Amino acid sequence: MSLLSFCQWLQSTDFFTAIRGSWYVYPIVMSTHLAGIALFGGMIVVTDLRLLGITMRKRPVADVIRQLRPLKWIGLAIIATCGILMFGSKAEEYYFNTFFRTKLVILTLLGVHALVFRNRVYRRAAEFDTTGRIPGQAKLAASLSLLLWTGMVIAGRGIGYIEPPIGIHAAIPGPYRSMAPPVRYSGAPAPAADGGGSATS
Amino acid sequence: MFMLAYDPTTNPLNNNEWSFPLLEIIHISGFTLSIGTIAIVDFRLLGLAMKYVKPAQLLKEMAPWTLVGLVIMLISGPLIFSSDPLMYLYNESFRFKMGALLLAIIYNYTIHRMVASRDSSPGVAKVVGAISLLLWISVVAGGLFIAFY
Repeated sequence: MSLLSFCQWLQSTDFFTAIRGSWYVYPIVMSTHLAGIALFGGMIVVTDLRLLGITMRKRPVADVIRQLRPLKWIGLAIIATCGILMFGSKAEEYYFNTFFRTKLVILTLLGVHALVFRNRVYRRAAEFDTTGRIPGQAKLAASLSLLLWTGMVIAGRGIGYIEPPIGIHAAIPGPYRSMAPPVRYSGAPAPAADGGGSATS
Repeated sequence: MFMLAYDPTTNPLNNNEWSFPLLEIIHISGFTLSIGTIAIVDFRLLGLAMKYVKPAQLLKEMAPWTLVGLVIMLISGPLIFSSDPLMYLYNESFRFKMGALLLAIIYNYTIHRMVASRDSSPGVAKVVGAISLLLWISVVAGGLFIAFY
């Protein structure tokens, strides 16, 4: 089974077909994905800025890391679940999407980042508090984290700008809504943003 | 009905492939910073994070970052709006978002700040933190729904 045929099979399952066919589930999943980024992304930024010595300087580094860690994991679980739901419902379209592929590469790099720096930096934060000095390695980890997560946002937004190859949806039954279309000048009143299909209000 | 003495087709945002997505990315980064730092205070009020620091101290540390994020968001947002003002004005989700945003900003700098900067009872703190989270979630969801409804 090729990766492409796996994607085609995945989106054809009843579960993902139902998500794709619903007029409101897909935008709700996207909203949850984005709200998750808003609520939990700040925790990554604050942790990294603390390691860089820019914010919360009076709080021990170890305390900032430890206190935010459980919530960051909860946030990641929510965001990733929504991401998987979005991918699964339009797996074939995502398969062809260059920004989605870029995002997966960045996600892999974030995994490598965790493997490389977890024991070297994040689990040793208490030492930085005793010595009162944050080593260059920790600052490198924080900078790379900020860079990679920004890359995730850029690639994520980019996904919606790539047109799927013509004809790949021919076999999909029911209504099909492409990924959030970019807003283009249309004049008023606004037509349905997806180019038809939804009820006019 | 709304009339415009301005032709959005001349707006650079509609004549340049990169400027619009770039603005969206700046907008998303801006609100991640502002809402994210507000959310840290909210989770503290809920007793779920940063338990060893007083809400007042945490708020003081987070407030400058919240403001930086808000400024980025409130510059990029109106620029995005300028790309197609009438479409946004007629858009139900956009109207909802603007209402929620106004409420959320006022709430953040009045009730939220008052409760976080005093030693409020845990019960009051929890309610205030939860309302703040809900308001900001509404703003983000309203923004995303602009593209759909």
